[in-house]
Amino acid sequence: MTALAAFGEDGLVDALLMQIAGLLGRLAEHDEEGSIDLRGLPLSASCIADLEKRLGRGEVTAVIEAAGRSTIHETSFPGVWWISHADESGRMIANLIEVALVPMILRADPADIILSQRRLPGCTHVAAHARARAA
Amino acid sequence: MTAEETLGDMLARRGFSRRSLLKFAIAMTSSLALPPSAAPAMAANLAKSKRRSVIWLSFQECTGCLETLLRSASPTIESLMFDFISLDYQESLMAAAGAAAERTLREVVAANKGEYLLAIDGSIPAKDGGVYSLTGGRSNLDMLSEIAADAKAVLAIGTCAAYGGIPKAYPNPTGAVGVEDLVSNKPIVNIPGCPPVPEVLSGVLVHFVSFGTLPELDDRKRPLAYFGTTIHDQCYRRPFYDQGKFAKSFDDEGARQGWCLFELGCKGPITHNACGSLKWNGGTSFPIESGHGCLGCSEPDFWDKGGFYTSLAGGSEVGWRNAGVAAAIGVAGGAAAALSARSKVKADKAEPGIEP
Repeated sequence: MTALAAFGEDGLVDALLMQIAGLLGRLAEHDEEGSIDLRGLPLSASCIADLEKRLGRGEVTAVIEAAGRSTIHETSFPGVWWISHADESGRMIANLIEVALVPMILRADPADIILSQRRLPGCTHVAAHARARAA
Repeated sequence: MTAEETLGDMLARRGFSRRSLLKFAIAMTSSLALPPSAAPAMAANLAKSKRRSVIWLSFQECTGCLETLLRSASPTIESLMFDFISLDYQESLMAAAGAAAERTLREVVAANKGEYLLAIDGSIPAKDGGVYSLTGGRSNLDMLSEIAADAKAVLAIGTCAAYGGIPKAYPNPTGAVGVEDLVSNKPIVNIPGCPPVPEVLSGVLVHFVSFGTLPELDDRKRPLAYFGTTIHDQCYRRPFYDQGKFAKSFDDEGARQGWCLFELGCKGPITHNACGSLKWNGGTSFPIESGHGCLGCSEPDFWDKGGFYTSLAGGSEVGWRNAGVAAAIGVAGGAAAALSARSKVKADKAEPGIEP
C-alpha cells in the first residue's frame, strides 16, 4: 500500500476515471489520442486492481512478442485500452492506459512494412527454386 | 556496427522490429517522466541516430560504479543502446594499455572534438597540485581539464564524481572534490549514488541520443525525473510512518511487521534518488525492502553527517540533525507532493530536455 492509498484509493481511481473520460472526449471530438502512464503514479496494487475492475474487459485482447511480452486489451469502454509491456525477463517496464482507435504499439511501422515488401517475394516457389539452383 | 550505421539499421540487421524500438521508447519515456506521447518521437529519433562517442575516465574511485553499471539485466534493447554508445576509452574494460591506451585517448578526442560525452567516476584529488592520483604520469586534475575542454557534456557518475564522496570524507587528505568544483564551462549531469542506479545512466544516455539534449536537471544538476522525489516519498513503508508505527530495533516485532525504519536511522526523508521506484537487480528490491534504512548515499557529504543508525529526529550529529528537522516538518504531505511533482514534470515537458 502506498501513501496515497492511505489518503483514499477510491478518490484516486475516480480521478483517473474522470481523466480517461476527458481523453475519450478529445478522441471523439478532435480525433486526438492520449495516454496515462500508470507506472508514473504512486498507485498501490489494490488501486490498480480496482481501476482494472471498474474499466472491465471488452472485445479485443492482443499479445505482442517483441523484446518481451506485451499484453493489450480493450476495456469495456471502446477506445480505452489497457497495455502492459514486459521485458525479456518478464519484468514489467511500462503499464499504460491508452485512449485511441487502435493502440500505437499494434500498428505496423512504415520502416518494417518496407522491409516486409522486400522480404515477401523471397517466400515464393520461384524464389525457392532460384535459391536451390544457386546452391 | 559501423560508425555510419543508424540504430534503426542495426536493429533491423539483428532481427528487432521497429515495434520493439517503440516499446523501448515507451518504457524510457515512462522512466524519464516524459509524457507517453513523446515515445513515437523518441523511437523515430533513435532509429535515425548514429553512434555517440563516450570517453570514461576513472579517478579516485573503488570501481563500484562501473561494476553496477556493467551488471545490467539480460540482453534487452536497452543493452543494445550500450552497443550503440561507442565506449571508446575506459581503462578497466579496454584491451589496450600503457602507451597504446594513451594514443587511443588522443585519437578519440581528436576525431570527436566537441561531440563526445565525458563520463567520470571517482573524485578528483586537488590538494598539492593533484599529485595523489596519477594515470600515465598525469594527474587526474590535468586529465579532467584537458578532456573536458572538448566534451559536449560531462556525466559525473557516482557520489564521488558528483560531490567528492568518500575520498572527501573528513579529514579529506587528498583535497578530493567533485567534477562540478573544477569544470564550469560545460553542461554537467550528476548521477550520484554509492553506487548509482544503472537505469539512471541509461535514461540520460537515451535522452541524449534521441533528443540531442540532456534531461531536465534539479538545482544539484541531477536528472529531475529520477531525483525529483525522496526515497521516503516513494517508500512502501511510508504509510507506517504516517501512522506512527516504527521499528525500534532490527529484530523487534515492528521490524518483522515491516514498519518504518525512521527511528533506526533511515535517511530516506532527505535523500533524493530512484531506489524506491526503480529498485535494484532488475527491479528485485532495494535496501529498505531488505530491512535496512537508507544511508543517504546519493546526498553530498553523506559520510560525514553522522551515524547511519542515528534517527534524523533524535540524532546528535549536526549534519543530519538539521536536515532531519526540516524533513520531519515537511513529510506530512509528501506523498501527495510526490504525485503532484511527478505529474507536473510530465505536464511541463512538451519538448523535453536542455541543450548541452
